[in-house]
This record gives sequence, structure tokens and C-alpha cells, in this order.
Amino acid sequence: MTIAMNATMTAPRRPLKKRAQSAALWFTTFLLMVIMCVPGLWVVLSAFRPNREILAKPPIWVPTEITLGNFAKIFGFGAEQVGIPVTSYFMNSMVIALTSTVIALIIGMAGGYAFARYRFRFKGGIFLGLMLFRAVPGIALSLPVFMMWSRLGLIDTQMGLIIVYVSLNVPFTIWLIDGFFRQIPMSLSEAAQVDGCTRWQAFWKIEFPLARSGIAAAGVFAFLTSWNEYALASQLTRSTDSKTLPVGLMDFTAQFTIDWAGMCAMAVIIIVPALIMTFLVQKHLIAGLTFGGVKG
Amino acid sequence: MAGISLRGVEKHYGAVRVVHGIDLEIAHEEFVVLVGPSGCGKSTTLRMIAGLEDITGGEVHIGDRLVNDLPPRKRNISMVFQNYALYPHMNVRDNLGFGLKIAGQSPALITERVNEAAGILGLSELLDRTPAELSGGQRQRVAMGRAIVRHPDAFLFDEPLSNLDAKLRGQMRAEIKKLHQKVKTTVVYVTHDQVEAMTLADRIVVMRDGYIEQVGTPMEVFNHPVNTFVASFIGSPPMNMLPGVVTGGRVRLADGTSVPVPQRLTHAAHEGQSVLLGIRPDDICPVGHGLGETAEGTDLDLTVTLAEPLGMESLIYTSVAGQEIQAKLYGPRIVQPGETLSFRLALERAHLFDATTTRSLEVL
Amino acid sequence: MARILTTNRGKWTPVLLLMPAIVTMLFVVALPLIFSLYTSLTAYRLVRPETLWDFVWFRNYTRIFGDWDFWVAFGRTILFLTIALNLEFILGLGIALLIARITWGQRTLRTIMMFPMMFSPILVGFMFKFIFNDNIGILNNALQSLGLTDRAIPWLVDAKLAMFSIIFAEVWMSTSVFAILLLAGLFAMPRDPLEAAKVDGCNSWQVFRHITLPFIMPFAFIAMTIRSLDVARAYDIVHVMTGGGPAGRTELLWTMIARTGYSDARMGQANAMAYVSTILSILFTWYFYNKLMAARRYMGGVQ
Repeated sequence: MTIAMNATMTAPRRPLKKRAQSAALWFTTFLLMVIMCVPGLWVVLSAFRPNREILAKPPIWVPTEITLGNFAKIFGFGAEQVGIPVTSYFMNSMVIALTSTVIALIIGMAGGYAFARYRFRFKGGIFLGLMLFRAVPGIALSLPVFMMWSRLGLIDTQMGLIIVYVSLNVPFTIWLIDGFFRQIPMSLSEAAQVDGCTRWQAFWKIEFPLARSGIAAAGVFAFLTSWNEYALASQLTRSTDSKTLPVGLMDFTAQFTIDWAGMCAMAVIIIVPALIMTFLVQKHLIAGLTFGGVKG
Repeated sequence: MAGISLRGVEKHYGAVRVVHGIDLEIAHEEFVVLVGPSGCGKSTTLRMIAGLEDITGGEVHIGDRLVNDLPPRKRNISMVFQNYALYPHMNVRDNLGFGLKIAGQSPALITERVNEAAGILGLSELLDRTPAELSGGQRQRVAMGRAIVRHPDAFLFDEPLSNLDAKLRGQMRAEIKKLHQKVKTTVVYVTHDQVEAMTLADRIVVMRDGYIEQVGTPMEVFNHPVNTFVASFIGSPPMNMLPGVVTGGRVRLADGTSVPVPQRLTHAAHEGQSVLLGIRPDDICPVGHGLGETAEGTDLDLTVTLAEPLGMESLIYTSVAGQEIQAKLYGPRIVQPGETLSFRLALERAHLFDATTTRSLEVL
Repeated sequence: MARILTTNRGKWTPVLLLMPAIVTMLFVVALPLIFSLYTSLTAYRLVRPETLWDFVWFRNYTRIFGDWDFWVAFGRTILFLTIALNLEFILGLGIALLIARITWGQRTLRTIMMFPMMFSPILVGFMFKFIFNDNIGILNNALQSLGLTDRAIPWLVDAKLAMFSIIFAEVWMSTSVFAILLLAGLFAMPRDPLEAAKVDGCNSWQVFRHITLPFIMPFAFIAMTIRSLDVARAYDIVHVMTGGGPAGRTELLWTMIARTGYSDARMGQANAMAYVSTILSILFTWYFYNKLMAARRYMGGVQ
């Protein structure tokens, strides 16, 4: 009886409450999106505006002039030459990030497969060890690495940074790839072996193709880690021989403290590859992280 | 020509022994079923034959080759897995031809064999589909097709029907049997379902806790189980077991009721022996509603507790000597709980098991 | 008679597969850490290389532990991390719950949620340095144009506001990690226990607290573990936004290490500080990793 009474009592109010809830939901989401997107969008917009507009007081809200001049400037073209060789930085970042990613993936695939498919002693300990090594703060690691690399002649070389970035990426790559391989039933590899494959063949013909998208996601993640890293790069590089984009941006802000438009242009160059990668990654990254993380 | 021979085969995981000294000779073209409850070691034994598990002790021979140290691909066997293990990124045709391709066979031969297998299993229309687009039964058939294209020395099945619903399971059982008649090759088949074992096997191997309990044809295992485990495991509904003591040529049950010792066992049973009287529900029927004339019948008046009608037969729950037993009634008659009927026990098909050793008195 | 055979096919395979990873980590992380420990026990100054052999035992450590500025920076770092991580968790949870309720355009929302994670911390720091700039930053301009204030609010200069700004930047960057993982957790949750709880008479809050929350805790721990690996990336943000200043008002452990080691060239001392921060990070990660393992075992039983 109480149930029936409640139903009739709330029936007329229900639609209103639901609509209010829905509105609140949408408003909060909208607010969220604004906070997420506006900072980045503002920087992107400012990159296309002349610096004097950005510095203008009172502020000019609606852009009166859109220009590519900032980009031209930082790349070294056009009337205003700027002493920041962005092209070199870009190339360094690309080479270092790509190379360290490829190496980290190879090492990560081997290690991830070992964790996913085999039982061996100290397995948990080794995994924990890899994680804890990764936990060392970049700036803390940079001190001894700087000292060591000086003696080894690796300062201001691309190779020096690549080696460090490989070790930075290996633990997480192994974690991800371990998760991806676990999603592939062992019986597939066994079926292939019964069908005539050696374990090596079974891996390349069956397990690897099936884990391919996950491995690609791990690769993108490693690329981004290398592409975005600052603390180690700032100390291990000296000149355009090896300086990367994040270091370049920091130099820029220190050197040209009021050329905001130029800085924004540089920021855009750093963002764009990252954003492209985001689209490629999303679905696979979460799948690998969570399955590897929870179901073990 | 390839039979399979297991001699003293053992499997240990560290200190844990999973399979103890198995001896088994499987003849060429024979269909052998390993059956038993979960954890009895049947799958482990199968995987040792396949080469997917290391053999801790003993020898496995396929044909006349000792295969202990050979990897799976060198043993010339095929396996059908419980979850089919079809390669998800290949279509049916490529799944079927994969093994031959790895072996480096010519495309012409591959096409011929693939089409042959597809024809036998009714897959010809499905060759371009991927596993994701197939139903459970179709996937099962692709798994079997993949097994037969390579013309191996033996087929190994690891609980292939467990993932199918009951109706489909029945259909696939028949298909597997037909397939074996057509493609005459040795088969080792593992299942926990005794119905599958009974219907498919030339010989059944009943296993428990890593040991072989009994090896025999379905009828042998059904009619002459060597111990209470095999007797209870094979046959559905399971055999009734009534504890009693042999007294003066009769078996005296817990409440004093007694039945004669079956004639063929009189010399084996001795006075005062604690026994279990084993009798199947099919062999306890109300008078006039049984399966035919009984040579050694004994009648008991029992009260029905529950009746489950199954159409032309009913499963009757009643109790003897304080223990609930199941009996069968053949015919369309409805029985009510509380009715007292005269049940005839066909003692010529009853068994006596020693209560301490659980072994059948027929064997001792 | 049975003979005992051990076919050791592939027994060494896992070891071989893991060798490259182990060697890399030993060479690039373990070795430097040992070197760092050694250096922290010396009075090494970069400008005078011979001081590398000048062994002073624990003098650097007693110095920093007796230094008031060090403890202030340490405390500030702990405060920073505590506030930031708690905020990230709560906000991430809220966002995840929000997105889970929305059906239309959900995919787009999830993609947008991932953006902040893909930014370099230097970029994030720069972005907010730009926005929070008291002169030309969009925030002050907007506040002034809307008439809400007539002063230039010193977001990056005033002690409390500067802390707020760097925490804001850090939370902006890393909340998505929690949001995405918790969202995945919400999606992975089976419906049955929820429905059973509702039938049993629980209201929304009770369902959330007793059913939903325990289920997604493992995902929260994954997020915590991942975050604790990268907690020091906050250094990049602070370095570019305030440089630890002005006048050390936003000095965190990491900016102090950088300054002591690279600007002041007092390597021995810097390494001592670095060791403190390393141990802090490792303990942090270990703690959450254990929680993750425990939750995994628990979930293994449930699932």
C-alpha cells in the first residue's frame, strides 16, 4: 500500500526532478569541458595573433589580426629572426623520441611476454623492482646521470638522452604489454604449436598480430613520455646538437620574457604531435592498463 | 600406423604429484575416452601426450616413436581445445590451412585438403568468415576441421563440448562419432561427462586423483565396475549404495531388511563381511513396471516419497533401511507420494562391494 | 621401470627475455643511484672536481636536516602532493561518475578527457604561466573586463595564490588519469550486485558506498600507482611557472635540488637531498603498489 501511495504522490513531480537533474548534469559537463579545453585553446589562438595584440591594455578580446608570423619567426624565416633554432629542437625531439620508443618497445615486448606467459622465481620481486626504479624522480636521477655521462662523453649527444629515455620507458611498457599479452589465450599459442609452429613462430604469427594494437598503444605512450620529458633533458643537453623541444620552450621563456606570441607558437608545435597521438591511443591504452592492472 | 602407448607416465609439479604411474595401451584407430571428475589428471595426461606439458616420469610412444623429448609440432598429432582456440585474425579457410602452410605444403595440396575437410564437416559455405562471425557449433566444427586437414597419427580432444548447450552437445556428439567412422584415426578424448564417454568410446578409461580406476568397453565398465567409484560415476541416475552385512547367505541392511546374496557372488562373499549393495535405479522397479523378466527377483514393499515423471518412465524416490534411494517406473502410470508399492529388485544385475576396500566382490 | 626425465625446453627463456630490461635498468638507474649515494657522502662541488674524493660521511645529511629552509620545502612538497592527489582523486571520481551518466557524445568526452595527460608538464606550466600572468593573462583580463576586480591579482607572486596556481596546474594535468581509470572501472562493474542492492532497499548513496566504491578501488589504486611514478613531473610545472619563487615561496624539494646542484654546484649536498626525495617517491610507490596487489587478490575472488 505504501508503494502505491508513493507512486501516486511522486508521479507528477518525477519529470521535473529528472529534468532538473539532467540540466545540472549538462551544466556541470559543460563547465568541465570549458576548464579542460579553454587553456589549451587560448594558447593555440594566441599563437596566431601578433604579440602586440596580446600585450595590449585594455585587452583586445576579439582578434583583429590573424598571422602565421610567429611560426615563421621561430623557425627562422621572415623579417624578425629569433635566436631559437626550433627546427633543430624539433628534429632532436623526433629522433630521440622515436629511437628510444622503438628500443623500449623491443625490450618491453620481450619482458612483457616473459611476465605474461612464464612462471619463474622472483617474478613479483622483479616486477616491483622495475616499478620502483621508475619511481626515482627525474631531477634526482639527473644529478648522478649528469656526472656519469660527463665522464662517458654522453653529454649533449642524442644517444645519451636516448639511453636514459629507454630506461625511463621500459617499466611501464612492460606493464602495458604484459597486460595485452595476457588477454590472448594461451591455447592459441598451443594450437599453433600443435599445428606445427615452434614457440617463436607461434609468437610472431599468432600472438604478436593479436597484440599489435596494444603494442602500438604502448609505443605511443612511450613516445609521449620521451617527447615531453624535461628534467633530464635540461641537464644532459647543451646545444642544438641534442636540445629537445621542452628545453627549447624553457629557454625561450627565460630569454624572451615578453614574446608571448612566439612562446605560444612554440607550444603549439609541441602539442600537435601529442594530440595526434591521443586520437590513436585512447581505447587500447585503457584496455591494457586495466586488464593488466586488475585481473592480473 | 599409430597406436599410443603410455608406460609409467607421471607428472609432478614440484612436490605435488598430479599423475601417478599411468599405463595404457591405445590401439591404432581406437577411440579412447579419459573420463573422471575435475582434477583427476585426465587433461594433464592428454597434454603430456600432446607435448604441451613436460613428462616428469615414464614414457610416451606414438606409433613406434618415443616422443618424450619431442615438441608438439614433431609428434604429428592434432588437438581440439575446449575453447576451440581458433585464430581470430584469420578466416575459416586460413584457420584450416594454417598447419599445412607452416609445414610448407604446396598451395594446391592445401586447397584440396581444406576443401575436403570443409566438405566433411559442412563448412564449405563458411570458408570466408572469421571466427567471430560463427556460432558455437560452427566454431567447434572448424576446430575439428583444422585437426583433420593434417592427416595426423592421432586426434586429441580436450573437453570440446563443455562450452555448448545441452541440445547442441547431443548433436555434436553424433557428429564426432560419424567423423571417427569416416576418418579412421586414433582418438584420445577427455571429458568429465560420462554420457559422452559411454556414447563415443571404444574403450573408457576412468580416472581419479591421478590414477586409472578402470579401463574397459562402455558395457564392461557399466555392467562390471571394479569399485564403488566407477560404479557411482558411470550411469545416470547413479547407482544406489546400501550398507549391509553378509549374514547367512543374505545381505542384512541397516534396519534388518535383508535380501539374498546374488547367486554369482555367493562364493565370493563371506560371513560377517561388511558390504555395500549396489543396485541401479533401472533394476529396482514396481512389479509389472520393469524392463522385463528378472531371473533373480526379490520384492520389497516401499513407500514412495517423490515421483518425477519423465514421460514414458518416472524416477521414483523412496527409502530402504533409512536411506533414500532412486528407482525407476516404466510405463505411463502416475504415482503419488505416500503410495506403497511392491518393488522388485533384479539381483542378477546387483553388485556387492567390500565396505573397506570399496572393490567389487566380482573382481576379488 | 619409469625413468625420471626432465625436458627442460625453454627453461632459461624467461630469464633471457628479461635480460635486456634488467641490464638497462641496472646500468641507467641502479648504477647512478649508487653513485649518487656515494656522492652524497662527499663534499663534491662541480667547480672543484677533486672534491669528489673528499669523504665527509653524513655531514651533508645532518646539514640539510638541520636546515630550516629544507624542512619548509619538504613540508611544502608534502602539502602540495597531499592536496593535489586528493583533489585529483575526488575530482576524477566525480568526472567519471558524470561521464558514465551521459550517453550522447560520451566517446568525444572521453577523448577530451585524455588531452591534459598528453601535454608536457613544461607545456602545462607555460600555459598557466600565460593564463595566470598578472598583466596580460586571460584570467586577470577576464576578471577586470567583467568588473569583478580592479586590481591585477598576483596569481604567481603572492605566497598563497602561487601555491594555489601550481596546485591548480598540477590538478588540471593529472586528474584525467584518475578520471579515465575510474571510468573504466565503472564500465567494468557488473550490473547484478547493483540491482540486488536496490531491490534490497538501498538508496543511491548506500549503493555507491557499499557496492560501487569497493569495486572501483583497485582502479583507483592503479591510478595512484601510476601517479606516484610520475609525481616528480610537478617539478617541470613549478620550474617554469615560478622557478620555486618568488623568494622561495613555492620552493619544493625538487626545485631546491636543481638549484643546489646546478646553480650552486654543490653536488654532494644536492645528491643528499635527491636521495631523500627518491626514498620518498619509492615509499610512496611501494605503498600503493602493495595496495594494488591486495586489491587484485580481492577482486580475483569476486570476479
